[in-house]
Amino acid sequence: MSLEGKVALVTGGGRGIGRAIALKLASQGADIIVDFFRRRSTAEQTAKEIEALGRKAEIIRANVGEEAKIDEMFDMIGNKFGRLDILINNAASGVGRPVTDIDVKAWEWTMDINARACLLCAQRAAKLMEGRGGKIVSISSLGSFLVWPTYAIVGVSKAALEALTRYLAIELAPRGICVNAVAASFVETEALQFYFDEGLNEDDIPVTPAGRIVNPEDVANVVAFLCSEEAFMIRGQTIIVDGGFSVYSPSLPGKKKG
Amino acid sequence: MTVEEQVREIVARITHVDKSVITRESTFKEIKADSLDIVQALVAVEEAFGIEIPDEEAQKFQNFGDFVSYVEGRVAQEEKV
Repeated sequence: MSLEGKVALVTGGGRGIGRAIALKLASQGADIIVDFFRRRSTAEQTAKEIEALGRKAEIIRANVGEEAKIDEMFDMIGNKFGRLDILINNAASGVGRPVTDIDVKAWEWTMDINARACLLCAQRAAKLMEGRGGKIVSISSLGSFLVWPTYAIVGVSKAALEALTRYLAIELAPRGICVNAVAASFVETEALQFYFDEGLNEDDIPVTPAGRIVNPEDVANVVAFLCSEEAFMIRGQTIIVDGGFSVYSPSLPGKKKG
Repeated sequence: MTVEEQVREIVARITHVDKSVITRESTFKEIKADSLDIVQALVAVEEAFGIEIPDEEAQKFQNFGDFVSYVEGRVAQEEKV
């Protein structure tokens, strides 16, 4: 699966899942634009690692929750690279609150970054992919259909992202653009610590049937596959990477032990 | 208006707290600023002063005074350049 000569933008590519995706795509030959918002040092570190793989790396600071910043980012990509082959909508944010405590500010902040940005970035990316096709992969979460305590806003934003993925996939198919999403369960990243701080308990993190928690590289491997020509016929799908977590229901009666 | 007054106005607007209760010793917890309030305050201050405040620095702020001192330092630095 070679991505030689491709140009990829990874939003929120400085750390966590985004960093793993950036490095995976670079290892397959793509030059990477790493978007970041709050942590310049980690984005710079990721860029160094991409360059160590022999690929070009560009870092850009943009809060994808702001339309003007998205425009500036794509203007830079257009000017500097003249094209885009791969868009990874990975940047995400959220506020951990019960549904009854969600206010308009928290709702808009989360939806703008997690869902609206996918729309705006896809619209701009499609223009840079014009005539040559491309791949768009957005990072979702099982919280789009499972209910986790205090995860409501993020879960709803991810449901919007998955629905948008289906609509984009159909509308952009005639232009040779493949659009899909990857949804993971709890992934071992710094973001997980954020949810602990916001009230999530360690006991809420289940060990998957596969025997361990999902790591960023597990997600990156599937994203890289979706960016390859081998995945050409996969369109509008949300591929779940969760070690079997979402299909296993331990509360159902099973065979008694002993 | 001083840097401190401007930062206080921004924080008060975002947290819906009366600016008279925000002192240099006030912690973010005391003014009931949650993680979203803090990041929005950082972004608003960045835009107001044309500076970047990375999370690595922001995490060191123990109280409002630390926040103000950092911004004052950065503004002075920008003026020198």
